[in-house]
Amino acid sequence: MKHYHWQPALFLAPAIIVSLLFSYWPLLQDIWLSFHSWNMVSPNMKFIGLQNYLQLISGPELIKVFSNTFIYIAILVSINFLLPYLLSFVMAHRIHRFSFFYRSILFIPSTLSLAVASIIFLWIFNPLAGPISLLLSTMGLDSPSWFKDPSFVIMAISLIIGWKVFGYNLIVLFAAMVAVPKDLIEAAKLENASSWHIFRHIIVPITSPTALYVFVITIVFGLQYVLVPLNMLTQGGPDQSSTNLVYIVYQYGFVFFQTGKAAAFAVLTMLVYAGFLVIKSKLLNKLVHYEN
Amino acid sequence: MLKRFTKLITLLCLSAFVISLSGCGTAQKSNQKVTIEYWHVNAESFGGATVKQLIEQFNKENPDIEVVEKYNPDMYKGLTQNLQAAMASGKNPDVVQMGYSYLNYAGENLKYDDIPELLSKQAPEDKNFMQDNFLPNIISLATTDDGKQIGLPYSVSVPVLYYNPDILKQAGLDPNKPPRTWQEVTQYAQTIKDKTGNTGFFMQEYADNWAQQALIESNGGKMLTKKDNKTVAAFDSPEAAQAYQIIADMVKAGTGLHASNEEAFQAFLSGKVGMVCTTIGKRENFEKSAKFTVMSTAFPTFDGKTRKVPAGGNMLMIFSKDAEKQKAAWRFVKFLESPASLALWTKGTGYLPPRKGVTEDPNGLKDFVAQNKNMQSAMSQMPDVVKWASFPGANGLQAEQALIDVRDVILSGKQTAADALKQAADKVNSLLQ
Repeated sequence: MKHYHWQPALFLAPAIIVSLLFSYWPLLQDIWLSFHSWNMVSPNMKFIGLQNYLQLISGPELIKVFSNTFIYIAILVSINFLLPYLLSFVMAHRIHRFSFFYRSILFIPSTLSLAVASIIFLWIFNPLAGPISLLLSTMGLDSPSWFKDPSFVIMAISLIIGWKVFGYNLIVLFAAMVAVPKDLIEAAKLENASSWHIFRHIIVPITSPTALYVFVITIVFGLQYVLVPLNMLTQGGPDQSSTNLVYIVYQYGFVFFQTGKAAAFAVLTMLVYAGFLVIKSKLLNKLVHYEN
Repeated sequence: MLKRFTKLITLLCLSAFVISLSGCGTAQKSNQKVTIEYWHVNAESFGGATVKQLIEQFNKENPDIEVVEKYNPDMYKGLTQNLQAAMASGKNPDVVQMGYSYLNYAGENLKYDDIPELLSKQAPEDKNFMQDNFLPNIISLATTDDGKQIGLPYSVSVPVLYYNPDILKQAGLDPNKPPRTWQEVTQYAQTIKDKTGNTGFFMQEYADNWAQQALIESNGGKMLTKKDNKTVAAFDSPEAAQAYQIIADMVKAGTGLHASNEEAFQAFLSGKVGMVCTTIGKRENFEKSAKFTVMSTAFPTFDGKTRKVPAGGNMLMIFSKDAEKQKAAWRFVKFLESPASLALWTKGTGYLPPRKGVTEDPNGLKDFVAQNKNMQSAMSQMPDVVKWASFPGANGLQAEQALIDVRDVILSGKQTAADALKQAADKVNSLLQ
């Protein structure tokens, strides 16, 4: 029996080594970097202790970055999680014809790269020459400069992410919806259960593991996807209105060349993600109904 | 079949062997040939082919020198990183392109060859090369704040005012009389809006303050100034605010556009904007993609004040250590700065030639400029070129971002230019401390 102790370790080794080397080692390096002042070019790194963190906490930026991040999360969850959830329910249980057609149509955009989507939306949102502005002008309205207006820019950027993520999330949720046993629904119908009852007490519990997965990736990946359109279209502007926790790391690191501060922001971002995952496993997991 | 294949392989190997042997032979023979390295940032889509063409030509004309080129990705940041790594290991290149924005950093941190010193030692006959061939304001582009001549200006770009002659005509304006002052720009923009319904004017909103600096300094304002030996913000002056407010007022009146660069360029190219103020570097792209004939004029001025436009682009620095290489490097630099080479460079990249006489020289750009009116509006501004303000210190780039942010605040009309610039100056000063 004894030799079984090292065998599992051996099988796990490749995965463990890779994740140590490419996830945990960079994380430690990042923490080390966050105590320094370095511009990526100079050969000398200066140790400055906690100064990066102190500046970061005392600066006015942090509040803006956090509130923007939460607005992003709220919008991303509504268009990339709630909407596909409802739509997948409709497609699986309410529409009986052309389902394949809808699925394909809605999935196709997610095969495009975000860079391409950004360019397409840049044209769609063009305040003078874009289709939306033409539509608005037929109604006698002037189109706002979507990417230059602090009240619209996060919505506009989130729509680009939606274009990329929506289809994939829809397909995953659709698979879960289809997997809900038909006999359960038939039985409920025989008992004269209302559609709402069926949705609330059969569909939601049975699809909840998948829904939780989609919810988590909507937030975790969504915030990272934001980097591409932000970098291409707004650079966090106007006046930092579209920046978020992920972009600010990039901006400090590769635009301002203040690597130490970027690393400090990255540590903060990591903590936020970690906090989110704690909430997820402590709270949300309890609400989820796992069959076995 | 297999046998024949093996034979073929053997033959190939043998010939490769013979070729490599003979290659060794030639290398041995020309042992006195000096090899120098030229580092540049020109990708294939950005003048890379011209770099290769120039080097090929130089190597052919100078059998005793072999120039090897090396492309550095990620522009001057990437190049500077590679340069410092190479110098740490004692294998530095000889001639290097360096962006003007890196001027003071390079002066303070790199072991470069001082140009006047190098000339007096290695090429006394060219002692006055700089003074004879460059305008004093252009020479200063490669002179650090403490007065050291660390390189030779090589590529220069300036802002110009592009316009759509069809829109001007439609608005009853003469396309051959473009606006010369900012007052006229405002009037033209208003007329365009009233007569055609199109937006009149857009000034570039890249992630830098290059065009805005031209605006502020042409009105007699300044970006930065020295106070007690420290650099502080100077853009909170009435002149700067007045200049900035002109653009903000146009946006407010609906005659000016506040949008992202790409959106505004798309709109201009599809005939929805009358005038666009941006770099001469966009010329070829505009001329190719517009449905109309793109015309241009020099950066507008303020009544009775001199135009001041900051230079974008790069200079050539020399890093050779031994005398032979320094001589060779200088000959190569001199070749790159010759009218014929600069003409090729201008055609390949869209940059302006830094030295005098290239535009008049028949070997240079005489024909090109005669055919290309848009080049003329840029070339005519060479005497007005000033240094692009570089924000010093570790927080310099972040300080510049503060000024980019304030542009959005002013143009969206949230605050007046005077108030917003005052706040930005406080922020910049705290960052520069």
